[in-house]
Amino acid sequence: MSLKHDIEFKLNGVSRCASVRVDMSALDMLRDVAGLTGTKYGCGEGECGACTILVDGLSLNSCLMFAVDCHGRDVVTIEGLAADAKADALRAAFVEHGAVQCGYCTPGMVMQASHLLATHPDADAEAIKRGIEGNLCRCTGYTKIVEAIASVSRTGKPGARS
Amino acid sequence: MKVAEKTKFIQPGTLIGKRIPKMDAPEKASGKTRYIHDIDLPGQLYGKILRSERVHARIKHIDTAAAKALPGVHAVITAADIVDQRPIGVAKDHLPLKTDKVRSLRDEVAAVAAESEQIALAALRLIKVEYEDLPILTDPAEAIKPGATLIHPEPRQPGGQDALKPSGPVAFTGKPDNIAMRFDYCHGDVVQAEAESDAVVEDTFKLHYVTHCCMGVSGMIADFDSSGNLLMYSNTQVPFLHKREFAEYLNMDPGRIRIIQPAIGGGFGSKLDIYPFEVICVFLARAAKRPVKLVFTREEEFISSPTRQPVLLTLRSGCKRDGSLTFRTVHTLHDNGAYTSWGATTPFVMMQTFSSLYRVPNCDYHTVAVYTNNPYAGSFRGYGNLQATFAVEAHMDKLAEAIGMDTLEFRLKNAQEQGEVSGQGMEFDSCGFKECLTTAAERSDFRRKFAENVKNRNAPGAIKRGVGIASMLHVGGGAKIYPSDGCGTILKLDDFGQVTLITGASEIGQGSETVLSQLVCEELGLPMSALTVVNNDTAITPWDVGVHASRTTFIAGNSALGAARLAKAKVLAAAARKFECPAEELDLRGGYVIKAASGEALIDLPRLMRNLHFSDKAELVMTTFYYEPPSSYQDKRYKGNVSAAYAWASQVVEVEVDTETGIVKMTKITAAHDVGRVLNRLGIEGQIEGGIVMGQGYALTESLIIENGVMRNPSFRDYKLVTAPEIPEIDISFIETMDGEGPQGAKGVGEAPAICVAAATANAIYNATGVRICGLPFTPERVYRALHGKGEKLYLAPEKAA
Amino acid sequence: MTEIEQYVAPSSLEQAAEYLQRSGEVTILAGGTDLMPQSQGGRLKIKRTLMNIQHIPELKGIAIDGGAIRIGALATITEIMQSELIKKHLPILIEACDHFASDQIRNAATLGGNVCNASPAGDMLVPLLVLDAEVELASKPDGGLTRRRLPLSEFFVGPGKTRRAPSELLAGLRIGLPGAHHYARFFKFGTRPALDIATISIGIAGTLNNGALSSARVAFGAVAPVPMRAPRTEQALEARRLDAATIEAVAGVARDEVTPIDDVRASAWYRKELIHNITKRMLDHVAQA
Repeated sequence: MSLKHDIEFKLNGVSRCASVRVDMSALDMLRDVAGLTGTKYGCGEGECGACTILVDGLSLNSCLMFAVDCHGRDVVTIEGLAADAKADALRAAFVEHGAVQCGYCTPGMVMQASHLLATHPDADAEAIKRGIEGNLCRCTGYTKIVEAIASVSRTGKPGARS
Repeated sequence: MKVAEKTKFIQPGTLIGKRIPKMDAPEKASGKTRYIHDIDLPGQLYGKILRSERVHARIKHIDTAAAKALPGVHAVITAADIVDQRPIGVAKDHLPLKTDKVRSLRDEVAAVAAESEQIALAALRLIKVEYEDLPILTDPAEAIKPGATLIHPEPRQPGGQDALKPSGPVAFTGKPDNIAMRFDYCHGDVVQAEAESDAVVEDTFKLHYVTHCCMGVSGMIADFDSSGNLLMYSNTQVPFLHKREFAEYLNMDPGRIRIIQPAIGGGFGSKLDIYPFEVICVFLARAAKRPVKLVFTREEEFISSPTRQPVLLTLRSGCKRDGSLTFRTVHTLHDNGAYTSWGATTPFVMMQTFSSLYRVPNCDYHTVAVYTNNPYAGSFRGYGNLQATFAVEAHMDKLAEAIGMDTLEFRLKNAQEQGEVSGQGMEFDSCGFKECLTTAAERSDFRRKFAENVKNRNAPGAIKRGVGIASMLHVGGGAKIYPSDGCGTILKLDDFGQVTLITGASEIGQGSETVLSQLVCEELGLPMSALTVVNNDTAITPWDVGVHASRTTFIAGNSALGAARLAKAKVLAAAARKFECPAEELDLRGGYVIKAASGEALIDLPRLMRNLHFSDKAELVMTTFYYEPPSSYQDKRYKGNVSAAYAWASQVVEVEVDTETGIVKMTKITAAHDVGRVLNRLGIEGQIEGGIVMGQGYALTESLIIENGVMRNPSFRDYKLVTAPEIPEIDISFIETMDGEGPQGAKGVGEAPAICVAAATANAIYNATGVRICGLPFTPERVYRALHGKGEKLYLAPEKAA
Repeated sequence: MTEIEQYVAPSSLEQAAEYLQRSGEVTILAGGTDLMPQSQGGRLKIKRTLMNIQHIPELKGIAIDGGAIRIGALATITEIMQSELIKKHLPILIEACDHFASDQIRNAATLGGNVCNASPAGDMLVPLLVLDAEVELASKPDGGLTRRRLPLSEFFVGPGKTRRAPSELLAGLRIGLPGAHHYARFFKFGTRPALDIATISIGIAGTLNNGALSSARVAFGAVAPVPMRAPRTEQALEARRLDAATIEAVAGVARDEVTPIDDVRASAWYRKELIHNITKRMLDHVAQA
């Protein structure tokens, strides 16, 4: 079978190693090798954002990333976001604002929102819409997702927008 | 030391109309929810399907030897290996694994179960299929002509394909022509009515291919236990119907089939039929004697999922000078694709709109669905109604203009009121149609903007503003398309005051768990936290038709309410015995049995439950209820009150049309929906916003491009869903008509919001530019062509009425 | 069917050039945003060696170097978008970055990858063309690392095809510092702000004086096998006062100069109409500037 390569990286704050096929995507590695199924497959070509993860603090489509490229990097998935107090508020906002329906896009949406708020803490509705333009949702029509993210944005910077 | 309890009074409160977060949302937002893709069984194999490389061809030979020899492959199957294959689908015209022919590019030819997806894919590449091409038929107008190539010729030609012919029973033996289904409906006399009309308009409309694009791709896990019982992890929206159908296909006792529905990544009507991949997954599990998981890729999801049915439709409508509608005559030609699924039956819903959206005294409707070598069509949120409403609402504008009447006034004149019965026999016991129209119009300042835009059509500047209105009528109290439209509930109260609601209704992301829990908690005076829902498992829950026809809140809601009322009566009767007072003087509130008049708490529910539990009678509070709506099966002429309630809505769409590029920007949608009553404000807003944006995609961006039977854009790159920056401002009003049959007065609204967006958009583009575009979607190029006199010429010759 | 035999992640340009020199059978991995879906979808076969160049410091960074701005091949779209140097000197690139895919892809995709993919619709290519960008190619033909420069306008030879030799690595892009009164704008046609393959794109640049563009540069995307400079349009534009008649004439030349095809996104006819109408609209803006 295909060539494998050993990598060492940080996954959700914990150092680990893995032996991965060199043509494997980070998405498949996370789901099939690491057993973390919160990161979803939606399209496999970076068009839907369901597989969004954070790598060295930047949001990426894990379906477009080679697993071998995780070597030496700091990878955070939806499971790892639980440790982050800011992310708690974000997840709670998704729940309270009705931003979740079938929920399949939600982990990727939460990951992207978390990155968006980390880089643009007082993003307004328009900036939030642009920030999640790479995340498709078929259920909600995005309105409640934008509201959820905006509510946390406001919390982060009181009075930044109404 | 015992402290005397202070008398406690419980204030009244209600859960109805509140913003209640979805019960499954915290798990989903944490990535902990397990969808079918996330489930693995011990010893599980991975299934993959080999699909046809030809649009229409005879299968001459399939060589699977090399695939079978590949290490890690446990089973390779073709039709020849499955001796008991039976046809599936609405018309039973579809064998899961194709025997003699492939009829479309998505057709299943062989399948593999292997130890990994990579091995399964490698094995597929080793299967050699020899084809002999047949003439391709992809234009329904050609398919209907006499002498056209037959997609399902009868009888099966002798010889040639015998080696691959199944020996099992095959109900479907072919057709003498390409007509898959016909519907003919009429009320009144359209000929007479046309003669009496002052204005008559006619247009041909072309409605395109779109598909569901559920974010979670299709998948299935099949597992036989050592006694031969079949367990399926399935994404179906209709588990109980599937259980029975699978039993038929597999020649099994239905009692030996269990369907578990894990969380599902979107439904929207895509999972109402049994598809070949599901049967093939079961065949693979049977052949390999191991659990088999079969999950699509996104490309496969596009290519092999059913579509919304494309329709060519000619509508002729008339009215009198006073603005009253006189008649509608409709001819439609549906592209059925190569096989018959629910798409073929969408005329059943379309005719409701032609016959009954606005007061139409005379209506004639003829429709035919024809086989082609295109992808086949299924059911999709709105079920034909988007197509029908698109045509009807274009004509409402055209007729108003023809007689010089204000377009809103014209609609109001023809809008039905409570108590009316439509020509088709639909009984509008609650009806907020006029209020929907006036609310949407007033909140959007429709009249002023409409007039202003007409005036500005020829003003300088590339950007033209437009405003358009459209309405819709859809079933909102279930739909009696099966002998029963019911749902069962089991309710259990335990000795901690916790309630378990076991419902037949499936949660598919739409929020049924939460709204059903709300209804039960409201009845039992309990907080939402006191309730656990058990659902989505045919081995546990009572029967239900399934998630379709916007029925769950109404039907399952009434069922849950029925069980809760029985439980409440039982609890109050026990409390009445204990406190030696009439049960009528007691009520449940805030987790207590209270005196109804004063609100004084008598005993908390857990204690009362334990009293019952440890009493001589050792009684448990457990109730069951089965709700059947008071709707009727339509007669042979499609007349009858098909639903227990009807949902209405009006939407005003505002657009900016860039005449130099054809880009249509949707800036605002003002929606007014007759929902009966708002149960969960958060949930219903979400449903309506999501439906509107789905309607926006149908109107502006989504289109499956199929050329000569080949799908040209099977990816999100070129099949464009609406993304967040494109959404319009959305203003929603709820018209609460308190339906007498609905649970707490509510009606179903799942499909409603998507239905009239495209129709209102077409009217808005006309308002902006004076150009009527009869084909969808309004992509920049289509609009630009239309604005520059290079639009598509559409025509469908009306067939002579049968 | 050849399998991948080797995965390497060199830590210097020299090492990478050595790998390329030793074997032409190397697939280069940078951001991966195009390589992964292409290879998974079977449209591209990864060669015997997969070389991850992400750890090569010489390919990173954005800096002024000898009167030009050098953007390392590994600079991501996000890095370019956030670069103060780019904001100050080359704002047209910020515009292009803003229309590039999505945040997730901008965070991973590299400028070098966008250039080497040589898509006729590549979002960064049209603005780079009107900025007279040069590519910098590194190789190690006879033991020593050498670099050559090539104007970007000569780099593309067909869809997905460039003049980069198999032994060469794209090290970076160089863009001369624009002089006073430099004007450059980019337009990408789509119904979405960014996550869209351009139906057409247009770049217009030059020195703006008294309502006329001199040293005019015009480039078009998605209307030819490669992102193209439009010399005839440039000539029609060169140093002419942008009155209504000139603008109409230039737009007409532009429409005639492009050679688009019909595909799922648009017809050739419509693309030509867009080239005409948007060129006109952009020049109207120049005239008003």
